[in-house]
Amino acid sequence: MNRRSFVRRRPFSTLLLILLVALLGWIWQERVALWAFPDIISSYTAKEYCSCRYVMNNPAEYCHGYVKQWLPTSGFTDDAASKRVTVRGMGRSNSAVWVGERQGCRLSP
Amino acid sequence: MFKGLSLVFMLLLSLSAHAEYWPAEQWPTGPTVTGPALQALETYAFPPRDEATRKGLRTDALLVIRDGQLIYEHYAGPTTADTPHLTWSISKSLMATVLGVAYGEGLFKLTDPVLKFYPPLEKHPTMTMADLLHWASGLDWQEDYEYAPLKSSVVAMLYTRGHPDMAAFTADHGEYAKPGQAFRYSSGDSNLLSAALKNIVGPTRYPDYPWTALFEPLGIRHAVWESDSTGTFVASSYAYLTARDLARIGLLMARDGRWGERQLLPKDWVAFNREPFARYQANQDDAVPGGHWWLNRAVEGAAKPWPAAPDDTFAALGHWGQAMYVIPSESLVIVRYGDDRDGSYRHNDLLKLALKAFAAKGQP
Repeated sequence: MNRRSFVRRRPFSTLLLILLVALLGWIWQERVALWAFPDIISSYTAKEYCSCRYVMNNPAEYCHGYVKQWLPTSGFTDDAASKRVTVRGMGRSNSAVWVGERQGCRLSP
Repeated sequence: MFKGLSLVFMLLLSLSAHAEYWPAEQWPTGPTVTGPALQALETYAFPPRDEATRKGLRTDALLVIRDGQLIYEHYAGPTTADTPHLTWSISKSLMATVLGVAYGEGLFKLTDPVLKFYPPLEKHPTMTMADLLHWASGLDWQEDYEYAPLKSSVVAMLYTRGHPDMAAFTADHGEYAKPGQAFRYSSGDSNLLSAALKNIVGPTRYPDYPWTALFEPLGIRHAVWESDSTGTFVASSYAYLTARDLARIGLLMARDGRWGERQLLPKDWVAFNREPFARYQANQDDAVPGGHWWLNRAVEGAAKPWPAAPDDTFAALGHWGQAMYVIPSESLVIVRYGDDRDGSYRHNDLLKLALKAFAAKGQP
């Protein structure tokens, strides 16, 4: 009875509450994928830039365009001496490093 | 009289020996093709290129082998004849070819459970090598590169949770169908094959196996194949070859696994590669899956995927427009590398124009 009256008195708050619970439920269910998600852009950019530059031997300028995605990155460093590429994006940082002539590049764990 | 006859015989012998061309250190070159048909092909494949918007067709390399001779090659963008270009999912068909050599060594059978070679698959004991080659593991895999990044198994495998050990990441997926019952294209399946190969040939031979088994016998000198942190080759995505070198694999396949005098791949292996997967249903994918190669075959309820090309056409295909087409009936191998970001490239259009320019001229 009390609950019914709350629903009647606050229909929009009730709806928002239900949506919030549903959202929290979804976040809980997808927590592993959601936690990993922000890593995509920096990992992708570091790995594919490294391979573009040091496996395919394309010019640096071309490789910057090649890895560009709709999400922004920041803090790009390419240490040509050690062939290590580090990229920051969405608050995460990831590196890829050139391993050898046959093995190409690999993301650092 | 006798001497004259034997001379004629010798001449015939040498003629027939020359009738079949093979690449040595370089490809032998054949007669140059010119004319309006070639122009039409080039207009299609090499439109003006915009590196800023990356819109439209962006062919990096186009190379044509006919009867074992290089008759056409053209490069664009930063790619040259010396560029080991990323092949993306062409790597899957390359792994199948490497496995073919191990199969020829008698190291495994298609009906072998993968579990025999890859223990982490203990929850999937009935999955066979053939099931993986058909992309029919039954694992609940989501293959979507760019449009569903949160749910994409392949993005997670290559860039986030899965990259240190891609096969283990794949094996950790649940089952949506019994193995061998349904086709679902999966990069995970290809990496399970790669992990299985490690125990098939043994961990000592494995790191060099693609080179010793396949690349070196074919004279491929500049192949790169990236691996994950456990040393397993990323068979789904990360092999790099020059267009000229990839075409060597195409010629091997066009000639039923034979390289010169040597039957490198057993004929029944190539036949398996080229046999449509029986459980594939029309329009599940852009082409018909065989044993880790793509086939131009009509299946019940659908015409062949590339109407302009002969039925015996088969291909290795990869993301962003990578393709190698093998057309045995026309003695053609066509390699096309690209960087297409908007999906405007059409296999059938390229095949139609290429066949018009190059087919049925050097036939014996």
